Amino acid sequence: MGKKETRASKPKADPDAEVSVKMGKKETRASKPKVDPDAEGAAKMSKASALKKVFFMSQELLPKDADDGHLRLELFFHPGHGKEALFITHPDGRMMELVAFAEPRRSWFVDSEVCSNGRIYMTAPVDPTFLALHHLRKHCAQRAMSLDNIAVEEASTSRLLNEILDPGNLKCVTDVKSSGEQKFYKYNQERTLAWLALKTRQVAKILKEKQVHCGHSAQSQNFVRSEKLVAENVSNEMDYTRMACDFVGRYLDADLHGLLTSYLHIPSEIQAIVEEKAAAQKRKSVAGKNEGSDSKKIKLNDSDAAAKLKSSGLVDSDGDPNASITSPTAAPLKERTLTAKEKALAKGAKGTKSIASFFKAK
Amino acid sequence: MSITLDFNGKNFAQGKNSDVHYLPAKIDGDGEANVENCFNNYTREATEFGPGILTNALRGYPLMGEKLKVPEGYRGLVLQETEKPISDTSDRKLRLTGVFQDFTYWNYDKVPSNGDPYRQALLLPDVAQALSQPISEEDLEAEIARNKENAKESP
Repeated sequence: MGKKETRASKPKADPDAEVSVKMGKKETRASKPKVDPDAEGAAKMSKASALKKVFFMSQELLPKDADDGHLRLELFFHPGHGKEALFITHPDGRMMELVAFAEPRRSWFVDSEVCSNGRIYMTAPVDPTFLALHHLRKHCAQRAMSLDNIAVEEASTSRLLNEILDPGNLKCVTDVKSSGEQKFYKYNQERTLAWLALKTRQVAKILKEKQVHCGHSAQSQNFVRSEKLVAENVSNEMDYTRMACDFVGRYLDADLHGLLTSYLHIPSEIQAIVEEKAAAQKRKSVAGKNEGSDSKKIKLNDSDAAAKLKSSGLVDSDGDPNASITSPTAAPLKERTLTAKEKALAKGAKGTKSIASFFKAK
Repeated sequence: MSITLDFNGKNFAQGKNSDVHYLPAKIDGDGEANVENCFNNYTREATEFGPGILTNALRGYPLMGEKLKVPEGYRGLVLQETEKPISDTSDRKLRLTGVFQDFTYWNYDKVPSNGDPYRQALLLPDVAQALSQPISEEDLEAEIARNKENAKESP
């Protein structure tokens, strides 16, 4: 084939001798060039004066031929991060979130240049109402305010509320009172939660469509959708809702995320895991108790179904289906161990007179 | 602080097409490299691994890759900052240096598959789209009513 030879004789991909290359995962080869562990610092020392960045930009945002406006990256407070984050804004007031896909050990070749920044900066649609929600809860919880009166001292906030946000959408999270031209908004928790619940359902729907795996067991998380795999019905409704809720929660203040979780009656993941473990343990003990018995397989299935029921949240944790499985098997087991003891006792007592014989009338 | 993406429609339409490779390696350095002669020259098609699978090597480490399109609805842009920012708070500018519609995705010694983080990450735009979809007022009222109903039933 000659492929090997090609590799061996292949000149270095980069003429710059100081450039070192670090490959992913397999790091056993001795020839691997050692790299300064402080990669961040090393990147700063690079000689190139201008660092390139690779963007995947939504076509909706890209300027048309005649457009002369410039897109901008601006910082706005991101409630999910608890600090400011970059958003991309269009001159006409539309905005998208800027997210970076950063796999460790990635870089780019762009034409004839090496680009050490291996991230993909991607635009993702975002509803500005999520960003506004944080400020509305902070300022408009007690009294109705007009948008231009909120956070006048914070430039980015007032830009968000007055120039980017579509006030029409605020009906979903606030009570709107108008007086003449002016409109005043008061935060309404009930509407907000209902609105968030609907958003969560939209997300859950798309997750289901895309067959995203979202169970919580570590074992199944290691499986990745393969092209051939048909949809498993292991992931149930609640798992999708939980994942969707977590996704929505990435745009919410932590306490509001908590409220949403309880609004949707989502048991916490830890609770779900504990329940599943308990079910698995019961399964194990049931299997142990029935060792050798013919009914083993049937019992196992029973408890599987119970576990599924449990994790689906349809049954309370103290529900009965498990009890019906364990109680009949527990009793015979106790007896069996006792008989073993008794046997030993009986063995030891062999040949001795019965105590009763002493009290017999002579 | 804000960063201006310093290009208009005209610049964008005239943007030159870049040849872009997404490499599975951390390279501590930026700058010119003879990519055409020393890398692209050695790209081979390896149909034994599947249609469109390419092989190459980087410093002797085997690479397997494929030509990928930028996700639907997106354009690939290469942006560059020509002037170093004076301080963290000063305004900055990013210039457009190239555009691309497809690029070569490389894995280290592994055939690209749905298990790659890159492919899994591409779910995000769809999910974000679903999340940003506005909600109609009727739906909202219905949800509020439904919730009240549930609240009445449960206690």
